Amino acid sequence: MSETVVVKELTKHYGNIIAVDKVTFHVYEGEIFSLVGPNGAGKTTTVEILECLRRPTSGLAMVLGFDVVKEEEKIKRRIGVMPQDFNAFERLTVLENVELIARIYGVKPNLQSLLEELGLWHVRKRRFMELSGGMKRRVGICMALVNDPELLFLDEPTTGLDPQGRKECWDVIRKLKKMGKTVFLTTHYMEEVEKLSDRAAIIVNGKIKAIDKVDELINTHGGGVKVCVKGGSEVERLMRNLTRNFRHEEEGRIVGVFSNKQEALKAVLQLYNLNEECRVEVIEPNMNDVFLRLVGGRIDERGELV
Amino acid sequence: MNQILAIFSALLKNWVRSKSGVFFSFLFPVMLLLIFGTVFGGTESVRYRLYVQNFDFENGEPTDLSRAFINALNSTGAFEITELSPTLNVTAYVEENPSFSSYRILIIPKDFQRSTINRSIAAKISVATGLLGYVAERYSKDMNETMINELKTGWIALNQWKSSLETGKNNLLLLIDEGDTAAPVIKGIIYSVVNAFNNRLIGTEEVVSVESKSIVERKLKAADYYLPGYIAAFIMTNGVIGATSTISEYRRNGIVKRLAATPLSKASWIMGNILQQAVLAFMLTAIMIGLGWIVFHVRVHLDVCALLLIFTGAVAFSCVGMVLGGIIRDVEAASGAGNAIAFPMMFLSGAFWPIEMMPAYLQAIAKLLPLYYFHEGLRDIMIHKSPGSAAQAFLVLAVFAIVFLFLAIKITKWKEL
Repeated sequence: MSETVVVKELTKHYGNIIAVDKVTFHVYEGEIFSLVGPNGAGKTTTVEILECLRRPTSGLAMVLGFDVVKEEEKIKRRIGVMPQDFNAFERLTVLENVELIARIYGVKPNLQSLLEELGLWHVRKRRFMELSGGMKRRVGICMALVNDPELLFLDEPTTGLDPQGRKECWDVIRKLKKMGKTVFLTTHYMEEVEKLSDRAAIIVNGKIKAIDKVDELINTHGGGVKVCVKGGSEVERLMRNLTRNFRHEEEGRIVGVFSNKQEALKAVLQLYNLNEECRVEVIEPNMNDVFLRLVGGRIDERGELV
Repeated sequence: MNQILAIFSALLKNWVRSKSGVFFSFLFPVMLLLIFGTVFGGTESVRYRLYVQNFDFENGEPTDLSRAFINALNSTGAFEITELSPTLNVTAYVEENPSFSSYRILIIPKDFQRSTINRSIAAKISVATGLLGYVAERYSKDMNETMINELKTGWIALNQWKSSLETGKNNLLLLIDEGDTAAPVIKGIIYSVVNAFNNRLIGTEEVVSVESKSIVERKLKAADYYLPGYIAAFIMTNGVIGATSTISEYRRNGIVKRLAATPLSKASWIMGNILQQAVLAFMLTAIMIGLGWIVFHVRVHLDVCALLLIFTGAVAFSCVGMVLGGIIRDVEAASGAGNAIAFPMMFLSGAFWPIEMMPAYLQAIAKLLPLYYFHEGLRDIMIHKSPGSAAQAFLVLAVFAIVFLFLAIKITKWKEL
């Protein structure tokens, strides 16, 4: 798989503040890559360097084989961008806003099919200001697709949206992958990373804490699959035999942690085969657990590290 | 070029559909044109309200002379005269009626006619005795003694007659609020009428006279004169206030960042904005001239030079707006800064009234302002049809436009460093 984005030792200083600190990662063609972290972690600075909107202090950043410092024009022609808190001319219609971007690129795409693909054709004559938050983000993605880019940068595309709007936006992003686009996503929603991304990098205080396939991140840093069971002495004996990572919790609950899903399932089957009556609950790790274990905190709805 | 036109058309459409944008760019100037045009430059000539209290009565009727004086005031066409009853205590009335605060009351005293006639005779005697004295002094050596004695006798008789005349006090009294901005004008007109009245009574002829003649081909109305000032002032406010707010808003809401991520160049963005402001300036000019023609029957001369000066002004002031909008990210603060610059400039530059009405130090300040050169240049072209006289305005505005265009390019951030 070829590399669409190559970042090596990328650093960005604002005076004495180090916003991005020797960051290194690759993004592969056709994948959805997420840069995940709390507010102020350096996500937007990193993505804006790759979009040629900011100049790096040091390090290397190549997008589609072009240097972000020296070959800005070539990069801008081949990428699509939806910035954080995306906005368009609010009194222009959806179609007029999309046409504006097409005129700037000097391209004549089939706007009807593009708008239809994103479910916007029926609102093409509505002014941007009259759209819902979810619709507005879809317009943003549509504007980013006008020049048929190989790579799309979506900076916090679902921040501030209601669950329905977020789900609609996810559907569109999945569609982009099916269209063969590479998607570079920044987000502070762990659920978004799990549902959409092939690979993800966790960034905190300008530094990458971990980078891998999402499944691998969860397997490696999620802390294992928990099997929680309430039962008698036979249950406890069995659990002690199955895992060394074993503890008692309140109300007589026993929790055993297994390294992966298969081992956890084996344990559950053995528990059901016991004569003793018991209630079993399996809790799989997720990206929140990964983040908690790597960073020592979690990210709230507003994107703040708590 | 296609990019510039794309941005220009997007900005224009977005602006046209904004009610507040259209209001402040077009309707607000139109309202001010109608208000100022009516106040300062309407088709009606200005008439000042003047109260006259006449105490000079004879057999229950105003005396002929007091009547003649009031008629003389009326004939100037400058006053709307209301006569007050002589029984009214005006001092008490003024104090008791606050609405009467901006008072202008001319009081004709009792015995005005009699003392005025006596004074005029006394004045004529003074002229005659003066003449006799002059003849005696200058030609006495050519006269015999009899002639000299007759002269002396005549001189003495005239002076005796003069001293026998009851001249009394016949001063007219003008009660006027010194804070009244029209006071100097009203005093001037009344003094002119009094002088003319004096000359007529004494029987002297006018020695020095003034003939006024328009220096332009046709008769100009005040509205003709003020219209270029209004056009210049509102092009300036659209640039300085309008462009500042919109640029700041586009930066704040991320539109500038969105566009910067495309192949659109910073220069194209700036040119698109300038072009939009220039088109707004032409539209505003057309509306103001059209409205001035319909309401005030103004006739101004609009040629290529005028359009070029309007374009230069629009570029200059929209670049000021781009600089302010580029510096100040907060929309309210940017709008406040635009207002803080535009409004003092609008009133200090003499766009709405001749700067000669202002104190000398303010006149000096006015001449430092680009708007002064803008409206003066427009007036030279549109009223006096003298594009050559507008050369200084072209030069000042062009330099101003170049400097602020350079600053706008420097300050507009297309890429964060």
